Amino acid sequence: MTQLEEFLTGRIWLRQFIPFSNEQVNQAILNGSITVRLGIVDGKQCTRCLEKSPEKIIPFYCDACQKICYYCRHCIKMGRISSCTELITWSLPTPLPLQSHSFNWTGNLTPLQQRASQEVQKSISQKKDHLIYAVCGAGKTELLFSPIFEALNKGLRVCLAAPRTDVVLELTPRLRAAFPNTVIHSLYGNAPEENGFAQLVIATTHQLYRFENAFDVMIVDEADAFPYSYDLALKRAVDKAKKKDAPTVYVSATPSKLLLKQVSQVSQIFKRFHGHPLPIPTFQSLWGYEKVFAKDQIPKKLVDWVDQKIEKHEPFLLFFPTIELIEQAIVLFKHKYPAIEAVHSQDEKRKEKVMKLRRGDIPGVLTSTILERGITVPNVQVAVIGADQSIFDAAALIQISGRVGRSSEYPDGEIIFFHNGITRQMDKAKKMIISYNGGL
Amino acid sequence: MNCYLCDRVMTLQVTWRSIFFNEQGDVVCLRCQTEFERIKIGCPICSAVGDEKCLDCCKWENTEYAGLINSGRSLYRYNPAMKEYLHRYKFLQDVILSEVFVKVLQETLRNEKSVIVPIPMNEEKLKKRTFAQVDRLLDAAGIPYIHLLGKNEVGLGGKSKAERTALQDVFWWNGKPVPEKVLLFDDLYTTGSTLRLAAKVLKEKGAKEIKVVTLIRA
Ligand SMILES: [Zn+2]
Ligand SMILES: [Zn+2]
Repeated sequence: MTQLEEFLTGRIWLRQFIPFSNEQVNQAILNGSITVRLGIVDGKQCTRCLEKSPEKIIPFYCDACQKICYYCRHCIKMGRISSCTELITWSLPTPLPLQSHSFNWTGNLTPLQQRASQEVQKSISQKKDHLIYAVCGAGKTELLFSPIFEALNKGLRVCLAAPRTDVVLELTPRLRAAFPNTVIHSLYGNAPEENGFAQLVIATTHQLYRFENAFDVMIVDEADAFPYSYDLALKRAVDKAKKKDAPTVYVSATPSKLLLKQVSQVSQIFKRFHGHPLPIPTFQSLWGYEKVFAKDQIPKKLVDWVDQKIEKHEPFLLFFPTIELIEQAIVLFKHKYPAIEAVHSQDEKRKEKVMKLRRGDIPGVLTSTILERGITVPNVQVAVIGADQSIFDAAALIQISGRVGRSSEYPDGEIIFFHNGITRQMDKAKKMIISYNGGL
Repeated sequence: MNCYLCDRVMTLQVTWRSIFFNEQGDVVCLRCQTEFERIKIGCPICSAVGDEKCLDCCKWENTEYAGLINSGRSLYRYNPAMKEYLHRYKFLQDVILSEVFVKVLQETLRNEKSVIVPIPMNEEKLKKRTFAQVDRLLDAAGIPYIHLLGKNEVGLGGKSKAERTALQDVFWWNGKPVPEKVLLFDDLYTTGSTLRLAAKVLKEKGAKEIKVVTLIRA
């Protein structure tokens, strides 16, 4: 494979940003190995991310073309696509890569993980979609190792996609350690450039916009909200990035009803790898908490809860429904406990603050729902403030509860929902967790 | 509708103005709006921090550019939110973000008696960027303007200050009649040389009084 071919196979790329000379690209276009397509096509749809809502496809007077062009706001951070930009794809089929792979992992799977692992492997070989329905802390990544290894050995190109960068960053070193001879690309916003042809790609779902017809096996981690709401765009990205008949493996702790209905092959793991049951949430009223915060006070019950955790030296997370409330509350908390930190989605120091919490440098963190997945802090205690608010649906509450008791040294911990009235979603979350534990 | 900047859903605010005057609603949520820092007081030419003429503007008065700019103001500080905004608007070419400052520009320029002249872009650069970011800010706010200047290919970036100030021929007059009172408008005030080079050409062609307004003071 030439470098250009390695780079472009399975990809759809902005021509102006390709890291090869114009001459090379032109020649490949002439000999038919590169296809050129326009960025926004007649139906006002983005060719890269397939967005077509009028809120995202914006008309403007283009001074390059001296006429009205359209551009896509949905995927603009990856370089703007407009009616007059050119996207290029590699038009020749992917040759079978001649890589040899090795598998370097010495851990053990529990019998439940083992069974799920075999089931996934079978689905992939039969080109069937599969759902791994596993509680937080079930050890889902490890059970994927062996099916991925088999697929790689067959010469299949595999993608492991996750909605958030944090998860990609967490998975990458684990997969690189497990498959030391495999070229693995790790793709997320502002990731360092990678070279060569990767048979295994770990990417944020957003990065999948840059692939087309590329993968023989697609694994989607945290496919919780699939295929709903904003994930519609991500669903499109997944479908576009994989080859037409390629199987998709969904991994979720809280799959939607529709996903459960659509995917017939399901492996369930309702036990954590350490064998202990999931901590069950308790409900605690916190009447009028918003008004109390507005009066520059922290509700008494919350102060008591935090005091208790600090006294026992237990790290804690406080989940809030809105950024506005976090901003209001952090001032008050800082006043009382100067070391406490707050994080939100655009916080560049997010990872650093979580590390501090893990090391015990700070007692606790106030957070929005962004921290609900993918973080493990041993012995963490969790409180949800305003668990009755609509942003905390059952799936989110189950995820948040799943932060607690993940490590085998501290399989227990407290998860408390402070509320202004118990909602159906809170009830549902609690019932689901109890049912995972095998009781009803 | 979602906020143009943070993409969060905004609750529609229906006010009597929006009903009777069909006034355009905000395109940016309250939280994002408060991230921008309005300039209340500053240098009477460039709005640099302080309450009198700043050192830089005083230095200009000892050069051949002395007295070219009669007065001026800048509307916002170049804080992190504004840097992010300008990055998205200019470099990511998110043209719709020209609507973010509509209200402020209207307040500032609606009753302006001088003729508003935007700092132009070089033709080649314009083709590359695909839109004239300064013009689009005024267009979005419905502020009338005319072009009196063209810009040569020499970019200002990368040149030392001495070289910059020596660049006499950056702007050229396009031949249209120059009114006595002109307001030069630009997106970003950095060293002030761009505006002074433009002002020099216009004063030579008959402008008597030149004001400058920039959206941002770097
Ligand atoms: Zn797009
Ligand atoms: Zn906003």
